Order: sequence, then C-alpha cells, then structure tokens
Amino acid sequence: MSKTSNINRVDGFAKVTGSATYSAEYKTDGVVYACLVGSTIAKGRIKSIDTKKAEWAPGVLVVISHLNVDKPSGYAKAKDPHNFGQPLQVFKDDTVLYYDQPIAMVIADTFERMQYAASLIKAEYIKEEHITDLQKAKDKEKKVETDKGDDYHRGVQDNYKNAAVVLEEEYTIPTEVHNPMELANIIAKWDGNKPTVYTKSQGVEGTRRSIGGVFGIPPEDVSVNSEYLGGAFGMGLHTWPYEIAALIGSKKLNRPVKLVLHREQMFTNVGFRPYTIQKMGLGATKDGKLTGLTHEAVAMTSSYEDFMEGTVNMSRFIYNCDNVSTRYRIVKLDTCTPIWMRGPGEATGSFALESAMDELAHKLDMDPIEFRKLNYAEKDLEQNKPWSSKYLLECYEGGMERIGWKNRKNKPGSVKEGEWLVGYGMGTGTFGCYRSPTSVKAKFLADGNLVLQCSVNDMGPGTATMMTAIGAEITGLPSENVVIEMGKSGLPKGPTQGGSATTSSVGSAVHDACNLLVSKILGLAVETSTFKGMAITDLAFANGVVTSKKDNLKSVSLASLLSANKLENFEVENVSKATEEAKKYSIYSFSVHFVKVLVNPNLGKIRLAHVVSCADIGTVINQKTSAGQMYGGAVGGIGMGLMEALEIDHRFGRPINNNFADYHVPVNADIEKQEVFFVNKKDPISNPMGTKGLGETALVGMAPAIANAVFNATGKRVRDLPITLDKILEPRVANA
Amino acid sequence: MKNFQIIRALSSKSAVISIAKEKEAMFIAGGTNLVDLMKKNVVAPDKLVDITALDLKKIEFLTGKTSIGALAKNSQVAEDKAIIEKHPLLAMALTAGASQQIRHMATVGGNMLQRTRCSYFYNTDMPCNKRVPKSGCGAIGGSNRMHAIFGASDSCIAVHPSDMCVALAALDATVQVEGPKGKREIKFTDFHRLPGNTPEKDNTLQNKELITSVEIPNNNFTKNVHYLKVRDRSSYAFALVSVAAALDIQNNTINDVRLAMGGVAHKPWRLTEVEEFLKGKTVSETIFRQAADLAMKGARGYGDNDFKLTLGPNAIVEALTIASSK
Amino acid sequence: MAAKKSTKDKLIEDESNASRRDFLKKSGLFTALALAPPSLVMASENKWDEKIAGYLETVPLSIEVNGVKQNLNVEPRTTLLDLLREQLHLTGTKKGCDHGQCGACTVHVNGTRILSCLTLASMQQNAQVTTIEGLSKGKKLHPMQEAFIKNDGFQCGYCTPGQIMSGIACIKEGHANSREEIREYMSGNICRCGAYHNIVDAITEVKEGGMSS
Repeated sequence: MSKTSNINRVDGFAKVTGSATYSAEYKTDGVVYACLVGSTIAKGRIKSIDTKKAEWAPGVLVVISHLNVDKPSGYAKAKDPHNFGQPLQVFKDDTVLYYDQPIAMVIADTFERMQYAASLIKAEYIKEEHITDLQKAKDKEKKVETDKGDDYHRGVQDNYKNAAVVLEEEYTIPTEVHNPMELANIIAKWDGNKPTVYTKSQGVEGTRRSIGGVFGIPPEDVSVNSEYLGGAFGMGLHTWPYEIAALIGSKKLNRPVKLVLHREQMFTNVGFRPYTIQKMGLGATKDGKLTGLTHEAVAMTSSYEDFMEGTVNMSRFIYNCDNVSTRYRIVKLDTCTPIWMRGPGEATGSFALESAMDELAHKLDMDPIEFRKLNYAEKDLEQNKPWSSKYLLECYEGGMERIGWKNRKNKPGSVKEGEWLVGYGMGTGTFGCYRSPTSVKAKFLADGNLVLQCSVNDMGPGTATMMTAIGAEITGLPSENVVIEMGKSGLPKGPTQGGSATTSSVGSAVHDACNLLVSKILGLAVETSTFKGMAITDLAFANGVVTSKKDNLKSVSLASLLSANKLENFEVENVSKATEEAKKYSIYSFSVHFVKVLVNPNLGKIRLAHVVSCADIGTVINQKTSAGQMYGGAVGGIGMGLMEALEIDHRFGRPINNNFADYHVPVNADIEKQEVFFVNKKDPISNPMGTKGLGETALVGMAPAIANAVFNATGKRVRDLPITLDKILEPRVANA
Repeated sequence: MKNFQIIRALSSKSAVISIAKEKEAMFIAGGTNLVDLMKKNVVAPDKLVDITALDLKKIEFLTGKTSIGALAKNSQVAEDKAIIEKHPLLAMALTAGASQQIRHMATVGGNMLQRTRCSYFYNTDMPCNKRVPKSGCGAIGGSNRMHAIFGASDSCIAVHPSDMCVALAALDATVQVEGPKGKREIKFTDFHRLPGNTPEKDNTLQNKELITSVEIPNNNFTKNVHYLKVRDRSSYAFALVSVAAALDIQNNTINDVRLAMGGVAHKPWRLTEVEEFLKGKTVSETIFRQAADLAMKGARGYGDNDFKLTLGPNAIVEALTIASSK
Repeated sequence: MAAKKSTKDKLIEDESNASRRDFLKKSGLFTALALAPPSLVMASENKWDEKIAGYLETVPLSIEVNGVKQNLNVEPRTTLLDLLREQLHLTGTKKGCDHGQCGACTVHVNGTRILSCLTLASMQQNAQVTTIEGLSKGKKLHPMQEAFIKNDGFQCGYCTPGQIMSGIACIKEGHANSREEIREYMSGNICRCGAYHNIVDAITEVKEGGMSS
C-alpha cells in the first residue's frame, strides 16, 4: 500500500467547518430571491393565471409566466435536446405536462416576501385526462427508437421455457427519488450576453452546452461553477427548467437571482428512478445449469422525452448462458422525465435478476452462491470478449466468510435467534467501466505546490482526494502540497461526474499529466551541470527535488531549475483517452452484497443485523473514501430495498409523500452493522491505475440481497419493492 | 408564509386575554408543528402569542399525582429521573417520538395539539375536510396507509400522530386548561375527539383555552410497562401502530392494566373494555391474544391500511408480552 | 429554553412591543398590509411606502451568534435558519428540507441542539446561538470536526454541519454510551450519502477521548 492510499478527504476541513460553499451560498451583491409556482393539475392547459396579488405584494420585483416571458432564442429550435438539457421549455406556453410543472416564477427582494407572494398566485386550468399509473398503462408500451432500444437475442429466443426447471416471475420497483440533502439550487447572473451560474450540476461542460443552446450563445460564453455539490446521485445529470427559469429571471431584472427548490419540488421537478415492471424467465437443467434467460422491462418515461436505462443489460453477460433474450419498453406518462439514479437501470435490473436467481436456486434446492458459481461466466458472451479482470469469486468468498454464510440453511425459516427469524441473502452487482476523454493541467509552482486543474466536479465520492492521491504518488510530493482546482468552467475540460467513470477518466488524466510533468522536469534537469552526462533514467524526482539515483548527494531543487530556465512554473496540459487495447476487453466492476436479516413476522419488522459489501473495483486508490462510497451505496440500496417509494394518488396525478417525513430514506438507526471488503487487484487493461469504478456498483445488488434474505428468514418472497412490513406481516398464531 | 404580529405573553392570564379577542390569533411555544403548518399555508394566523416565557415548565410530584407543566419540553420530561421511575411508560413514549432536536423544542402542550400527518391535510391543493370543511376527504378512496381503523367517519379518517398522548391516555391523565372564563380540567381521554362531521376540530378546547399542565394520578405501573411503536423505519418516523401497555402483575395475575393504541384513530385509542377483560386473569399468550382480538372489535380498513387489522392485534400481544416479562 | 433575563427587562421588552403595536394600529399600515390588497398596490407603487411597510413589519432582535452580539430587525416570520443563511451569511448551517424532517439545520441554542428551520428568530430574544462556524478557533478544530475528517464521516458534506452539531450534543446529553444509543440519538440527522457507519465511528471516538490521528 502506498502512503496515499488512506489519506483524509482533502476538502474535509472546508466541509466540517461550514466553509465549503455550495451553489446558492455564494455571497452575491444585489441578489434577489426567486421561486417556482407549480401547476396543480397533471395534464391540460392553463386557462388563466392570476399574478396580480403577487405582483402587488411587498418586495416583489417581477412575476414571470408564459404570458410575459421573454423566451430564450433557443426555444425556437424546438427539438434540440442539447445533449444535457431537457426538452421541457419552461414558461414556453400554456401547456401543462405534469403535476407541479413550473407555471410561474416570483422574484422578490427577500426570501420571506418571495415565499409569501408565491402563495398568492392562483391559476385556472382546462383539465385533460392524465395517466400516471404504469400498472394501468403498461399496454401502451413502445420501443425506444435508438440502437440501445433494440431487443437482444443470443441463441434460442425464450429458451427458458424449454428447460427442466423453469422460473417465470414479475418484479416491480416503484418510483424512487434521488433526494440529495442539498436542494437543487442556483444563483444566475448575466454580464451583457454572458451568463454565470452557480448551480447543482454534475457536469460543468454539459451545463454550459445546455444553457448555451437555450439562450443561443456559444458554450464558451457560459460560466458554470459547481465546486461543491451536496450530493446529487444522478439528479444533476440534466439541466432542469428551474435553472433556465433563474436565468430568464436574472436576464429580465438584470440582477443576480437565487432560486432554491423546495424539498417538495425535488420529488416532482428534477427526475427520479422510473417505476419499472420486469418479467424474468429463467430455465435450468436439474443440476442447475442455466439454459435460458429472458429479461423484459417496461418502464415509465415522460410524455415529452424518451428516457431509457440499462435495466436489462446485466442479464446479457453476468451468467454463462447460451440463450438470452432482453427487451426494454417505455410508457409515456404525465410526469416529469426520469433521470439516472445511482446504480441506475442496473440496480433495477439486478433486483429482478438476482431475486429470480435466488428463486431458481431455491427451486433447485441449491445454495444460491453454488448456483451462481456453477453458472460463472468465464468471458463476456454478449460482446464475445475476455474480461479485462474479474474477481467476482473473491467477492463471494470474502462476503460468505464475513457474513457467516455457513450458518445459512436453504430451508426458509429454519434459523432463529431468540424470537427473531434469521435470514441470509446476497445479490450480485456490476457496472461497466467507462473512460471519457479528459483534459488535466498539472502545474508545479516555485513554492513547491503541485496544482491540478480540471472542470470535473466532486459531488461527494472524493474526486479531489483521488486526484490528490494520484498526483502525490506520481510526483512524490506530500499530499498536503497538492492543490486541486475543479468544478468550474474555464479549467481544462473534464467529464460529467456519473457512470462510475470519474476516477477512470480524471484519475488517468491526472496520472498522465503528472508523468508528463515529471518527464519534462527531468528533461530539463539532465541539461544542468549537476547531472552532466546522466540520462533521464538516472534521475529520480520526489518531494520537489531531482536527485541522482546513483549519488543522492547530487540534487537540484525545483526552484533552482525554474530560475535556471527563467520559468515561473512547470506546466503540462494533456488530454487522456481510453486506449485501443481496451476495446478488445470487456471491463466491468463487480460487487456482491450480503445481508443477515432478523425478522419479527408478527410486526413485519426487518432488522439488518449485518451488511457486508464486497467489490472488485480494480485498484483501490483511497481505501478511506472508497469504503465511504461503498457504505453509502449499500445504504442507498437499503433504502431501495426496504423503504423508498414515491406514492402517487393517480386520481389527481400527484405525489402523496413528497417530503422527507413520508418518503422514508434510511436513518442512522437502520444501519446496525456494516462492513466493506475490496479485492483490490489492479485491472491490467482499464486505465493506467487499473481502477474500474465504484459509485454505481456500490448500490447494485443490495435490494435483491435483502429480498433474498427476507425470503430465507420467512419464506415470503416479495417481488415488489420496497419490502415494507405489511408485505411480510403474518396473522399471529398463538403458540400451542 | 404570511407575515404576522408576534407578542410575548408574560402571564397565562394575559396570554388568554390577548388571544381571545382576535379571530386569527394563535399561541406558539415550541413551534415544531405550527411553523411547519404555516410554511405550508395550512394555517395562516395574523397574530402569534409567544407563551414560552410563561412559568409552565415545571415537573412536580404532588400528593397523589404528578403535574407536568404544558411548556415542559418533551426531552425534559422523557429524561427526568423521577418520571422515568414513576411513569416509565410516558418516558418511553416520548423517546419514541420525533428526533432529539425536535424533542428539545416541542412542549407537552404542543405535542397534544399537533395536527394530523395526513398528506391530504398538508397539501393545500387537495381536498380535506379537516383543513377546509366540506371540501371532501382525499384519503378515503385515496392513499391511506397511515390512516384510522377505529372511530373514523365519512368525513375524515386521519389519525392523531402523537406518541406521548397514547401513554397519557393510558395513564388516566387529566389536562388543566385556562380560558377567558377561568380554569377547568379535562379528562385526557376526552381531550381529543373523533372526527364525526366536524373533523376540523381536533380536541375539546373551547375559546382558545390555554393548556397549563397535564396531571397523572399516582399508579403502580412502574415495572411491567412497554411502549411499542411500529413504523416504516427504525427511528424518526410516525407510528403505523403503537401500543402503550401498563400492567400491575402480582403472582402472575394481572391486578390492574392500562392499554391504549396510537396511529389507529383520530385520538389516542384507549382500550378500557380490553383492560376489564384482562383484570384478574393469569398472564399467558392466549389471554393476550384474546385481549387483542377483543381490541379489534369495530375496526375497519380503508384499503392501504388494511394491514393494520393484522398489525394492530399482533402489536398488542407483543406489547403485553414484553411488558409482562420485564 | 428562554434566555435568562430580569423581569424588568421582560417588562421593558413587552412595553416596547406594546407601544409598537399601538403605533401600528394608529398608522393602520400593519393591518392594511396583512389584509387589504389595495394598500399593497399603494405600497408597491410608492417606493417610500413599501420601505416603511417593510420596516413596520419587523421586530427588533438582539441575539448572540457564535459569541457575536447582533442587534437586528427581523420579520416575525423569519426563521433562525434563514436569518443565519440569508442575512448573516453564515451558510454553514444547511437547509435540507425546511420542515424539520432532516436535521441539516441543527444548531445549538443556549447549549441545546434544535432545528433552526422550525425556530422563529423573533422568539430567540437574547439567545446564544452556536453554529458550525463557531466551533473551531481558526485552524484549530473541535475534536468532533477532527473525528469526522479522520473517520470520513461524510461524503458530499451537506448534512455534515448538522451531524457535527448533533454529535457534540449527543455526547453532552449523555446519549453516546453505545453504538446503538448513538444511532438512535443521531437518527434526526439524515445523511443521503449514507455515511452513518463512519459518523458513529467519529462520535464513538470523541466520546472515548481517543483523538490521536
């Protein structure tokens, strides 16, 4: 282990002292307060909107609606999705496409006056019949008209039906909502025709393109600052109407505008994990060899945008099965567009697949892990490529040992601890390793500090800390001497933070830039009299000093090298990309979550007595932040498994529990005992560090692990998440 | 939130007088529910009378009874050593509610006056007879997982969300109130009411009376007591069903018993008939089961909350079992 | 929870409030603002009117934040959270839900942890408020802040100020005697990144006094 493999979070001081500045917290002279007023119907048209009372209210500067909006010039190009934005054009016309769609914006001089004025706005509507219930509308499914939307077949279609042992079941997950702790928020201002936003974006460059598209200006003219994000989990992957609204308001008033969504609006206006119905068909021989696997999903999207995710993809490659069919369909509903939520489709898909695998193992009277091992895929049959590396078996072993798998009995309900029924379950997760072209600038300053610059942001996983660790490792500097500048435009272009690709993309770019920087320094060093006659390979660079490997008394400091070359600093800017070699391999991270549950069937109470999350993510750059991410992903999966569900009253097309009291996410008391285990073996192909990505797979597989453990404890198979107590409650029978 | 006038009362008398005259005036103490409701525009008072300076914070152990000032904080009562000793059921119920931060703010009187958590009540775009009389009940035929199985009406199936009140109802507490016409006492079980045709009224306070204290008569329920709260996560969630069980057991025989449920009705649901059934019986699971079945007499579900018809009796058996085995 | 002060102070305060009320009644502006839109038109159309209206809608507030005495005028409806964040620019205290459902806004008032989003600033006359910004002395961190860094008790950092304020109080209250007790008494602080395991580690470490890093 290197000395940087366990460093503290580099932004820790800022975060524990409250000095980390999140978007709406930038002190901005003359800033005024805006909020959005939402529609109270789910579909139809605005007949009239009464803004007079609000306009008259004290402190109100303007009320903007479709009636008086200065439409951004990009609105005319109706179908341009700007690849990061979304097609709903706020205040464009009188159409209402979902409940709580912004229909007006109030801007006032103080927060309190703005809030009050917003409550005075009343609209009348011409209602149309809305559809928000996927169960009732699932027949209206359609294919997504892209390559990714195509059906997939390998071998004989639906061959599972011909197997000796067949499992055919339906699994559903409800709508779940990201709900980062920080509300979606923005400060928008204009300097002439150039906007600046401090906003909750996972992709600085994407937000620039999107805003540029809407306002008909080049992306380079858009300044974006997203240095600190209070979590996002995917909801920051779009530019949302609230951001455009703030810009419209700011432009109108020629003043900085601050707009913070209410928690209620976080459930209705910034995406969610879509309600999805999945059908699984699994077939096996009597001795447990998979002979057919069919995975079909029907998921909701909005009426105005086709959204799809990789729900069925895992089924194509995770097990060794010659006959695989997958099918993905969407149904347009009258809601906001979904957006990838941590683990995204793979988490949804793994709930169905890994539950079904557990059910089939039970039918076969096999241990679920033995069953999986028997169907272990030695290569990726979907792409017909070898794995770059795969330590899934090590994850199984590591988890079995830690959770005490040997205490598990195949027969449900056969283990007890006191009054509690004990169950063990596991679920497999996986996520692809991606690497986007990334530009990083590395600069050595005369004061001995290394500055690393990239516009990528850090929504919480520890990107800055990872960059620091890699930079320090390569340059031999103490991590305290590495300075990270990130999360805003104007820096070398980094990727969007998402898809578990940040370390692979940005880490590699830091790696490459630092190596180039060291080479450059050594190249200049060999020219000095101290190292006369030596080759670059004879020199070493560490802690800001170039030293001869043969004679460590011979050394040249960075400062003197700079002055000798009349330079203020050494710098390198470099773009790193995936290699051609990598395309020959299938590169995936793997995770296995294990849980031990205690169930009181009289009360339906499920306790997670022990949770063990194991992962093969290639090299672990930083044990501390990686473990944190894994703990957190598991907690997210626990929410998915046990409590999270957006409930809609379909009569009104409105959410019922759009607040933190009624939409339950795990609290501290829910997490009794948690462990994390990383295989920590370098992937030889993925990237120079050999990492494979963690953020998504940290969640994938947890929900089925819980469902499987609950089955093992109680014999109750819950196929619709979340597993709330009413689903496993048993009428109490008096002990004889 | 509408702006309002705020004044600070220095005596309960002046508080009562200052509020009685004004139609849209309300008392405020901890504010944990009222400020929330004001933010949601569910209530919009013109004037708030801040009563936090009143001398109503004491917990006193008097002859034959315990008196708890209406302004005593929930955490103050829950962690009072003498309360834990004399009325452990109350301490348990209080600790089961909300979070420690909220318990530090919320007062005993305010806890009694908290409004239902029904989503239709909270969402001003939805029909709700409690918020806007005659606007309809969204929860009937709608989303009603949290809702009542006892004593509901065609107008309202909301439940009272308090944990503390379930224990106080079980412990035969009384509520001391002061109004423009003077002071009076209300039996705790009569304090909250069933919705009937007027669900907008949560309780039997009149003319903006001020709650000054709650009194609990001395009892023998110091050992075999349990407050069981069943909820959707391990903490910081409202009860789906809760049970306050207090037993006085001598030689395995139930001398005396108090039993009440929360999360099942518009008011804390005291089970006096079940108590009568249990008195004099020998402790056994069978007896508890019979008691639980008896408790369910008249219960009905509304769809999403049908599970409470199973959970309710199970929770009663569980609570009685735990209480009796302490 | 009320700040300690003499009866005389209270009377003066009440009297000044009373005289303000009388003034408001005489001017008629307060009632007009609250109830009658036509007056609001006037207020909006005439800048001076609105400014007077704005002033008349406030109450004086004397409050100590992180040891600094502040004499302010606040609207009665302003919450302590919005006062801290929007007027005093102490943005370390976070708004996560604004309805008492997440704990991100936890601060200490007169030494007790409370939710600033459900606290009306106007009711905190002479209160002593401590926020996350008031914990450290320059670069010298509070042991709980140190422990959160060392144990990685956060990821995005947004719930962190509330967790730390709550964690300090949890120990002070005597509710940190076991991991189980810490978990229960920290359940009013939601962490969506899911750092609970490490948060409990951090609090346990501070409780046990082991601060070596």
